[in-house]
Amino acid sequence: MIKKFIHQFASPKTFLLQVERSYSFIFFTSLCIYVFSIVWGLLFTPEDFVQGNSYRIMYLHVPASFLSQSLYIAMAVSSVTYLIWRVKLAAYLVIAIAPIGAMTTFIALISGSIWGIPTWGTWWQWDARITSTLILFIMYLGLISLHNSFSNYEKADKLLSWLVIVGAVNIPIIKKSVDWWSTLHQSASITLTEKPSIDPVMLYPLIGAIIGFFGLIVCLILMSSKNQIFIREKNKSWVKDYV
Amino acid sequence: MEILKIEFLKLRKKTRIWLGPILVFWLIMIAYPLTVELLQDRLQIGFFSVLWIAILISMMLATEDIFTEDYNDGSLEQTIIQESSFQVGIGLKVFVYWFLIGIPVSLLSFIFSFGTTQNFELSLPIFPLSLISSYIFLNIFVLGNSLSLNKGSVLGALVTMPIALPVLIVLGKGMTALQFDINFESFILLLLGSLSIIIVLIPIVVSYIIKAHLE
Repeated sequence: MIKKFIHQFASPKTFLLQVERSYSFIFFTSLCIYVFSIVWGLLFTPEDFVQGNSYRIMYLHVPASFLSQSLYIAMAVSSVTYLIWRVKLAAYLVIAIAPIGAMTTFIALISGSIWGIPTWGTWWQWDARITSTLILFIMYLGLISLHNSFSNYEKADKLLSWLVIVGAVNIPIIKKSVDWWSTLHQSASITLTEKPSIDPVMLYPLIGAIIGFFGLIVCLILMSSKNQIFIREKNKSWVKDYV
Repeated sequence: MEILKIEFLKLRKKTRIWLGPILVFWLIMIAYPLTVELLQDRLQIGFFSVLWIAILISMMLATEDIFTEDYNDGSLEQTIIQESSFQVGIGLKVFVYWFLIGIPVSLLSFIFSFGTTQNFELSLPIFPLSLISSYIFLNIFVLGNSLSLNKGSVLGALVTMPIALPVLIVLGKGMTALQFDINFESFILLLLGSLSIIIVLIPIVVSYIIKAHLE
């Protein structure tokens, strides 16, 4: 049943039609939410008692950090789907997500460094969370270079999927690094099991920024996947008709 | 048992492949004191970091051509067709590499550690730590080499190095625990636990990757 469902809804043609239908809605809704949250966070929330105004960079840093790990998990799920059910679209998604994951990780690292200067007095510290995020960034680059080094797409997809699955071992390490090691980086302020340690005045715009940023990144992934479909399926008649 | 014997004989004949990484490890460890000329009495401070990195590099070099020859002469294809348990063959191949390269490197680690720290109690645990970590590194780099089978070993090392870095972090923390005498055994158990998973999973994953190359 799962197999039938996946094959029915994950054909590149159906996916493209779904993207066409939903893209504009997702994009404009996400953009509105993100802009609204950013304006709220930057202009209408109070100064932090300890950090002053510098904390406001979290409206970029937190969504980027959250997505840098989430995108890798999405890649791992897509890789499993591709290897088990041979869904081509899942393989396209993996390589479509990789550069975007690298970009969000880079944003997380840069924004974290900028935040670190006024808060910690240094832009870089060989701290568990920061170092493990840097490792994640290098992993993304490694994945992209592995895929690019093969001209046979099918082989490249398989190898990439296996590497993504094995590399997923780093995700819990990054997530738990602030708990397992004594680090400069603070523990998570928002968890699923506990009450957030951040004040609601700052929390609500942050949640909005995460949702908005997430939506915008989803749009980027959809566009990137669309490109992958065009590249891979360029000889199919339906693509020629579509274009 | 027959596969183990064949793999052992094959590797033993290729002196450059098993002796090269051991010599590189030796050279790195000899080079370390030369770089801290004025701080000879503080050699211990960075010693263990250099040791783990030297093990990492020597294991990386050891696996450089692990499948290349078999891939080029077609024996990998033959093995896949003939054998029902290709994964076991890969697992045994890694074991042979560890036996001929990992164990000597671990022995040398203990000797260098004792020579540098002059502390037997501190140096003794280096041997099991090196044994376990070298086996983990070998498995990780075997995975890398299977991925970049006909694309050169640099790509394989590049894509799998990030997976090996958490092991280095654990080794560093383990050494801190050992020096302060705080629950060092838990780090050995953590590494052994990781190894027990890796030793089973990596040969399976590698076998699928090689099959993907040969399809």
